[in-house]
Amino acid sequence: MELQLASLEGVPLLELEGDIDHSNCGIVESALGEVLAGGAQMVLIDLSRVTYLDSGGICVLLSACRGVRDAGWLGVINPNQNVRRLLEIVGLLVDPSFRVFADRQAAESAVGEILSQGQRP
Amino acid sequence: MTALLPQEIDRAITVGADTAHLARIRSFVEEVATEVALDFERVFDLKVAVSEACANAVEHARCDDMSLKVCACLRARRLTFTVTDNGMFRPPSPRWEGVSNRGLGLPLMVALMDEVTFIRTPGGGTTVSLSVLLDRDAAPSA
Repeated sequence: MELQLASLEGVPLLELEGDIDHSNCGIVESALGEVLAGGAQMVLIDLSRVTYLDSGGICVLLSACRGVRDAGWLGVINPNQNVRRLLEIVGLLVDPSFRVFADRQAAESAVGEILSQGQRP
Repeated sequence: MTALLPQEIDRAITVGADTAHLARIRSFVEEVATEVALDFERVFDLKVAVSEACANAVEHARCDDMSLKVCACLRARRLTFTVTDNGMFRPPSPRWEGVSNRGLGLPLMVALMDEVTFIRTPGGGTTVSLSVLLDRDAAPSA
């Protein structure tokens, strides 16, 4: 699994690649923890190159959702069909603090809209 | 094409009880599931379910040098993966505990498989069986 930290319109963006499972989800958890500790209210994770995700990875996403709840949201970009299905099974797709974007452009538009309303990233 | 597919499979791998081996276990599952021509979606489901059962076993491992055996068995158009360990079975906790898979692994297995069975073996250890019916989506015969 590869992880890189970038940003989109000032919003932290984690770019992940490969399989996320119980052996490496702690790395994602640490990276998300640092971003949230920095006061981010919106966080983006690009899942377009994530080939596999299990409950280890899902727990990290759920935990990050709790971290931004009330103030913002966690958004994932372009999860593949199978990963998206898992997110649906565990109920993340109906969580108000979780969002799914089809691509980076859609995420960028959503972020731009919120920033134009005066909310900080 | 169907005639060329295997009617029976018996295969197994044994790895150390460590999450570092989950990727190898998933490769094993993918190899067998692809051999019986399961579609991409159900191959993924099997990989998740078997991986969850193994992660659960690793979590309950009694000692560091414990091993984990994963068997694949195809009979009568039913593909079953069994995960056997010699750890202490503990029922999944309903509470979230950090990034532990407790509470989420089991519901995922049940949601993704056609049949899930837990067997506690005398003297300790647990066997989890995860099955998919290859003809699940076929029209019922009259």
